[in-house]
Amino acid sequence: MDFQWKLKDILMIAVCAILFGIIFLGCTYAGGILYGILTPVGMPSLGYEPFYGVYFMAGAFGIYVMRKPGTGIVAEMLAAIIECLLGNYFGPIIILSGLVQGVGFELIFALKKYKKFDTATMVEGAVICSILTLIYNLIISGYNLIAVPVLALMLVVRIISAIVIDGFVTRILADRLAKAGVLKGYAIGQDTAQDLED
Amino acid sequence: MKLEKLNPSVKMITVLVCVILLSVQYLVSLNVTVFLVSLFLLTFFSNARMKQVLTILIPAFIAAFGLFVTGLYYARGSSINVTELESLSAVPYAVRAAMSTNLYTAMQLSTRLLAYAGLGILFALSTDGEFFISSLMHQCHLPPRFAYGILAAIHLMPTMTREFSNVKLAFRTRGMRVHWYSLKPIFTMLVNSIRWSESVAMAMESKGFCGDAERTYYSVPKIHWYDLACSLGSIGAIVTGMLLLRY
Repeated sequence: MDFQWKLKDILMIAVCAILFGIIFLGCTYAGGILYGILTPVGMPSLGYEPFYGVYFMAGAFGIYVMRKPGTGIVAEMLAAIIECLLGNYFGPIIILSGLVQGVGFELIFALKKYKKFDTATMVEGAVICSILTLIYNLIISGYNLIAVPVLALMLVVRIISAIVIDGFVTRILADRLAKAGVLKGYAIGQDTAQDLED
Repeated sequence: MKLEKLNPSVKMITVLVCVILLSVQYLVSLNVTVFLVSLFLLTFFSNARMKQVLTILIPAFIAAFGLFVTGLYYARGSSINVTELESLSAVPYAVRAAMSTNLYTAMQLSTRLLAYAGLGILFALSTDGEFFISSLMHQCHLPPRFAYGILAAIHLMPTMTREFSNVKLAFRTRGMRVHWYSLKPIFTMLVNSIRWSESVAMAMESKGFCGDAERTYYSVPKIHWYDLACSLGSIGAIVTGMLLLRY
């Protein structure tokens, strides 16, 4: 990791992570409604999947804004520690999931040698992260006891959610924050400044 | 002896080891025992309030029930035919499902989640945030810059909430409609929060905070013999359960 985290980077990511954590909490309630609808057909657990992408927001935001090795993983771990402090019922287990999510999202950027930060790469990151977290669920949450077609359906919904939330919403949010001028000190801010000059 | 006194890093690693141990077994009785013991410890050996425990457990119960239903309908290697069941009424379904292996799978899935939730809240409700961060710094070598950065951000939270309601009010005075799902006030709040975070960082540094230099600490969490004893005791109990329990 050749990126030296400055105090202001840590605070910026931490503040965003707090917001993402609160959004996630809101989504859990929205998931509750879907959960109720899906219970009669036997798939209430699927109700949470459309919001799964919110879990990866911190990592996606971190790597997209800072564009340096390790930033996605560290941002996701930061968010996990904060989530743990805010009182999630999974406690420290969140930190373990955070590591998996951070690695999952950053993998594709590492493979592309941290050179490409376009929509396509963000979408690929979202897909890989969804697959990796489902494998994590298979091992840790015992999802291997669930029938394969249902797991496949879960994965599809999770991938779509991750693509929409992380591939597009998070990216647009970061772009607009850069345009508002609060991300000047970061790689994304410098790119935006260049665009404006062009 | 209160759970709050235990070293948070040791507690965290213990919980994670227990979770990994639980993830390789499928014993319903062990999962239930872990969950109940966690609640018992929280009730009698910590300062957590019962009301808080229950509020945090409600979503866990809902999620566990969700997994239970999913397991009941769609367990791998299911012994009941789902399409056949749909034409039947609820009662025979319940009866037939109870006789099938699906019920056991459903229990395995849902009790595992409850066991994790038990361990999770055992940690979350018996650990002071600042003690946890300072222990992460001393025992897990979290750099001070991260530790104090996280704490500063956490303490910015009330200001962020206040700013959010201010922004909404400002929007309304300008005659803009604001709904609970509107993204504009959230965005404005985030822009301001990021600006503050920068100012806070600058303020901390101008007061002499530097992540790299040697520094002194007001309190340094230590690992005591009883931390290790509790940790080994819990891990040992789970391993014993895995060896002795059958279902």
